[in-house]
Amino acid sequence: MRKHVLSGLFAIAFASGAFAQTTFPQNGVHDQRMGLYAFTNATIVVDPKTTLQNATLLVRDGRIEAIGSDVKLPTGVVATDLKGKRIYPALVELDSDYGMPEVKRQPGGGRGNPQLESNKKGAYYWNQAVQPENDASLLFTASSTKADELRKLGYGAALTHPHDGIIRGTGTLVTLADDRENMVVLKPNATMHYSFNRGTSNQTYPNSMMGAVALIRQALYDADWYKRGGSNQQENLSLAALNRNQNLPVIFDVTDKLGVLRADKIGDEFSKQYIIRSGGDDYQRIDEIKATGATLIVPVNFPQPYDVEDPWDADNVSVAELKHWEMAPMNAGKLAAANIPFAITTAGLRNKTEFWANLRKAIENGLTEEQALAALTTVPARLINAGDLVGTLKKGSLANFIITSGNLFSPDNVIYENWIRGKQYIVGQQVVQDPRGVWNLTVGSQPPMKLTINGKSAEKPEFQLMADTTKLSPKVAVNGDFVTIQVQMDKKKPGTTRLTGYRTGNTIKGDGETPDGKTVSWTATRTGDAPDTPASTTGTSGTATAGMSGTTARGQLATTLPASATAVVYPFVGMGNAKKPQAETMLIRNATVWTNEKDGILQNADVLVTNGKIAQVGKGLTAPAGARIIDGTGKHLTNGIIDEHSHIALLSVNEGSQSSTAEVRMADVVNSEDVNIYRQLAGGVTTSQLLHGSANAIGGQSAIVKLKWGEAPDAMLIKGADGFIKFALGENVKQSNWGDAARVRFPQTRMGVEQVYMDHFMRAKEYAKGWDTYNKLSAKDKAKATAPRRDIELDALAEILAKKRFITCHSYVQSEINMLMKVADSLGFKVNTFTHILEGYKLADKMAKHGAGGSSFADWWAYKMEVHDAIPYNAALMKSQGVTVSINSDDAEMARRLNQEAAKAVEYGGVNEEDAWKMVTLNPAKLLHLDSHMGSVKVGKDADLVVWNANPLSIYARPDYTIIDGAVYFSLKDEDARREAMQAERARLIQKNLAAKASGAPTVRPTFRRTRMWHCEDIEGVMAEGEEK
Amino acid sequence: MKRLLIPIFSLVTLVGYGQNPAPAKPQDHVIALMGGTAHLGNGQVIQNAIVLFDKGVITNVVDGTLVKLNLANGTEVIDVSGKHIYPGLISPASTVGLEEIEAVRSTVDKQEVGVLNPNVRALIAYNTDSEIIPTIRNNGVLLTQAMPQGGAISGSSSVMMTDGWNWEDAVLKKDDGLWLNWPGYYASDFDLENFTRVVKKNDKRDEAISALRATFGDAKAYAAVANPSPMNLRLESMKGLFTGAQNLYVRADYAKDIVEAVQWAKAMSVAKVVIVGGEESHRVASFLKENNVPVILGALHRLPNREDEAVDLPYRLPGILQKAGVLVGLSYADEWWRTRNLAFQAGTAAGFGITDREEALKMITANNAKIMGIDGMVGTLEKGKHATLFVSAGDALDMKTNVVEHVFIQGRKVNLDDRHKRLYRMYKEKFTK
Repeated sequence: MRKHVLSGLFAIAFASGAFAQTTFPQNGVHDQRMGLYAFTNATIVVDPKTTLQNATLLVRDGRIEAIGSDVKLPTGVVATDLKGKRIYPALVELDSDYGMPEVKRQPGGGRGNPQLESNKKGAYYWNQAVQPENDASLLFTASSTKADELRKLGYGAALTHPHDGIIRGTGTLVTLADDRENMVVLKPNATMHYSFNRGTSNQTYPNSMMGAVALIRQALYDADWYKRGGSNQQENLSLAALNRNQNLPVIFDVTDKLGVLRADKIGDEFSKQYIIRSGGDDYQRIDEIKATGATLIVPVNFPQPYDVEDPWDADNVSVAELKHWEMAPMNAGKLAAANIPFAITTAGLRNKTEFWANLRKAIENGLTEEQALAALTTVPARLINAGDLVGTLKKGSLANFIITSGNLFSPDNVIYENWIRGKQYIVGQQVVQDPRGVWNLTVGSQPPMKLTINGKSAEKPEFQLMADTTKLSPKVAVNGDFVTIQVQMDKKKPGTTRLTGYRTGNTIKGDGETPDGKTVSWTATRTGDAPDTPASTTGTSGTATAGMSGTTARGQLATTLPASATAVVYPFVGMGNAKKPQAETMLIRNATVWTNEKDGILQNADVLVTNGKIAQVGKGLTAPAGARIIDGTGKHLTNGIIDEHSHIALLSVNEGSQSSTAEVRMADVVNSEDVNIYRQLAGGVTTSQLLHGSANAIGGQSAIVKLKWGEAPDAMLIKGADGFIKFALGENVKQSNWGDAARVRFPQTRMGVEQVYMDHFMRAKEYAKGWDTYNKLSAKDKAKATAPRRDIELDALAEILAKKRFITCHSYVQSEINMLMKVADSLGFKVNTFTHILEGYKLADKMAKHGAGGSSFADWWAYKMEVHDAIPYNAALMKSQGVTVSINSDDAEMARRLNQEAAKAVEYGGVNEEDAWKMVTLNPAKLLHLDSHMGSVKVGKDADLVVWNANPLSIYARPDYTIIDGAVYFSLKDEDARREAMQAERARLIQKNLAAKASGAPTVRPTFRRTRMWHCEDIEGVMAEGEEK
Repeated sequence: MKRLLIPIFSLVTLVGYGQNPAPAKPQDHVIALMGGTAHLGNGQVIQNAIVLFDKGVITNVVDGTLVKLNLANGTEVIDVSGKHIYPGLISPASTVGLEEIEAVRSTVDKQEVGVLNPNVRALIAYNTDSEIIPTIRNNGVLLTQAMPQGGAISGSSSVMMTDGWNWEDAVLKKDDGLWLNWPGYYASDFDLENFTRVVKKNDKRDEAISALRATFGDAKAYAAVANPSPMNLRLESMKGLFTGAQNLYVRADYAKDIVEAVQWAKAMSVAKVVIVGGEESHRVASFLKENNVPVILGALHRLPNREDEAVDLPYRLPGILQKAGVLVGLSYADEWWRTRNLAFQAGTAAGFGITDREEALKMITANNAKIMGIDGMVGTLEKGKHATLFVSAGDALDMKTNVVEHVFIQGRKVNLDDRHKRLYRMYKEKFTK
């Protein structure tokens, strides 16, 4: 109790200078001071490029009044001699929740009790995860303990914002002083903050990554509409806030490199360059990240080494995780080398005290000190347009600076003081007198002993005590002028002698107590320097004069590492490519070629590939110079398999929250790092339609990709491909198997499903009409009119009506299949493809008449009531009626055996082999409108080819080569070499982890993480707890 | 009232297209399959074979080019030249017959509540009228081991024929073994934050193993008492484990779990242990061999367990074990309704590492029979064994050619109709009008 009172007494602050708290009443006598301070003889790092020697810093009223070597000290100044010490600008943190209310998730939501509307009552946006009206300056309360954590690290200011929701509101720049908020807040509306994480909102929408993207886009379009006249129709405080703050810098919080790319693309759509707070793995996709043009905010929270002592357990750690452990500290250096601008944040650290050690690790791994300082001061200040206030030491800017014992980045540096707005915070103990040296210690009447004090810095002394030739183990503490020593004087006699004394010059005197309670007096006299004490006590002499560079060699560590340790593989997975595959000129000779054309199956034929296309098909072709020759003798050459229905390489599958989510795009969540891409290449698949799931009647827009293992998501997408969208019918849509609680969302019956379609298409029709009318207006009339509100959901539906987007519909039962065809007929469009379509055989004639294709499972049934009539003869029957039939996977495992699934059409229903083969190649190409350049071995078409060791329909067949656009993406021959290289890399990393553990680093136990395998019925956030289909 | 109506409607749909064909009549005359390629299931092949069976039992299997048989009067001769004869495929560790439609709870009878259910018997729930059964039979799967799931000790399995009026008719071997879910070294957790499954060390494992140790200890002691009183159904049902009359089937996938489970079972005086699942069994192949422990592998058509595993490791697993001298059986561990693809598991094994297809075939015939202790009756085409066999138009291990033309179970000629063929016919007719 007493202690608290005492510290409270000290904590009562005086107000320095003129920025007194004039608007507040004062209890007691006013204590207003001059606020005039000078720091002389210091090495002053003004900014990362400028360092002044023997300079003076003059501070008045919390601002820098003068800086330089010829500063005249005014009268009344409190001057401090900083000879041998340095001054740096205080650091600036950009990702902080300092002073923000705690983010708490409210109970509720979930599968049993869906919350369809926002719980935030008032004139706000419809979605609870969009709260641009949140203003950090209104929420901010200063907190000494939290500020202290950052002050100790050298920070003087932080940008803080509430870390909750997708559009989170504005951020506020505050100092880290423990003053009244009025003195702490520097820039109330400094920034706007976005993320992909809905945070504490329990509202059902969005429950997927692509839903989060769609929500941001729609909110931004809505804000635009509001600005253009929407505000005449309604008051919306959220949209008003978005518009009010539209010119603020936007900081987008993402978790990984793909998030960086995704966030930037949204910015591009709205002509805004976002600043992106990354996950620290940017080096894994550095070219694409550079191309975004974004400035990043990168963390230094590096993974801990893994405990890999047990080789079996160690297998739970992937090569990618091990590599990231090694490379994460290289991230900042690699960004700098690529000239990608970035700031550094302390956010994400397990413990803030790890900050300096980790930053130094980044410097050991390629970051220069100058770059590091810029990333901690000038870059963050510039990003939030606060360069005039913080980040550098120049006349007029805030007196936010730190005083250090030496080079800020050196391991033995001590930050003594952190001045914030002209207010001093002592953060590191400054040693009055260096205790190091050799001292003669005499205790009572004992013979003199030799006390050696050395160590790298005065602040971290080490002690040795020799009594004649016996080495004793003293515990010594130096606190200002006071020195206390505890030591067991006689090794044979237990008991500690405790001494305390004070230093005057080279003498320490005092008394103490022996183990038996007798008082003794003692003295120590300094006789000289300790042998290994560095000559300089502060480490500042003769270092950096021009800029910051030079004290730590850049890339020093890298030179001692094997090449693989600094090399990135694409994608960043154990089986990634050292180099991205390139198109080659190649000739496959003497193979059995399944052309899928009227030539049928050619025996002993050659296929020439140039520029990624099929150049020639025939016999006895000549290989151009330098062409790769593949001997096809005894082999079968076919097109690559096209999977019409896949959910691999996706970060999420279902935005199952609403009956229609036509606005979500799977292209936003393509995961180029999914090892299933490689596994499917090994099964001969070259193209997949990545579909939204089947949780709702109108799902999202598909992404059609080539499985270019190593490329980033956008490079996998097929350029110019028609847009498709997933629809779904039946039990998933009406939530039949979601438990008894899920009986809220419309529709719950097949009757309702039809109405969902009619309702949405009616709205889309009116929407399209509205735009049409507006677009036809003259420029003059347009200026007077308000453009319709852009609705990205209705955009997609209007595209269907305009025959510019095409439906792939998850379907099982004939009644509803018939229904959707009738709905489409009534609106004048066609259903492009029914997928699954397990009862397609029952109305194959109607499908053929309507013009719909069928993409089916070969032999699935019995997993639920609506597939009870599914039969493996489905494909054969549909084909017999003229339906374009494909066989699809909907399953990451089955996709790599689609050739075998096609063979089941031979087994069930006797389809001939050529036609069966088309069901996984040419027919899906047709269904995806890609057959003009894919799906058959024809001159001019894409060279997406597979060389098989046997008839591709045989269970014994496996690909020798899988080729996409003329580049070899899988080669069985090279598979062993690839695995050996991976194993060698793994072994090297394991050894390094073992060494890290042996040297005492805390380790993490290997756990094994597997990305979920998606099926179309998986509903993220709803059904994710089960692995069932 | 509304509630009551629903099941009635469901029933109507279930029977909408007629029933399964009636079970076959007992064999009442000698049958000779002439001229086919006989895959004996023990690794041997006889081209141009004659397979002769009477009263449900194989009476002769000979090479027709070497031996001329004098066929008795009344022998039904079936010319199968150009076709292939196989012993009935055996599908171990299966829930066929125990569940019908996954999403309809009332049709699912595979898992009892509770942790220790050794006394629960799968054959009781085996539904001979299941519409799944004919579909698997028609791809050559003629025997299935009905297996209970759930808890720590799930209950006992029985080997069933895929033909019969009721479970009493259909059973081939009653209560062949008990099923134990070994408490795993790792437990899996789903991380909702990033939608990944995280496998962590299982903290509750030691506790679970001690509970099992106590139960097995008590069961062993109980088994030594001539007339125990009071009678304990649970312990009573475990007696066979200590005499070798019953297998102990242990589900374990991780290498450490496999080793530990086997060591533990030996310490508990369990006579016969079979590892089921065995996804990492290749790492402990020599241990399994030394301890004479067979493995029934789970799905081969699965993804590798780990990102860095070879893409085809699951496919190559049977070959790796076989080369190490481990007795390997294959099961169909994906959904039970896909069991008609069992033969293709063996086909995959043959495409990836087993050069002799007959060796792969053994893994779904003779090896499974041996593991389940029914090799005296079934598993190979040999004199004295049940005439449980089928004829396929081509290689039965390849889907392209697996077209089953004749099925005999204990010599009974099985009607090859099934729900799928009925619907196929129905709509083919519709469209030919």
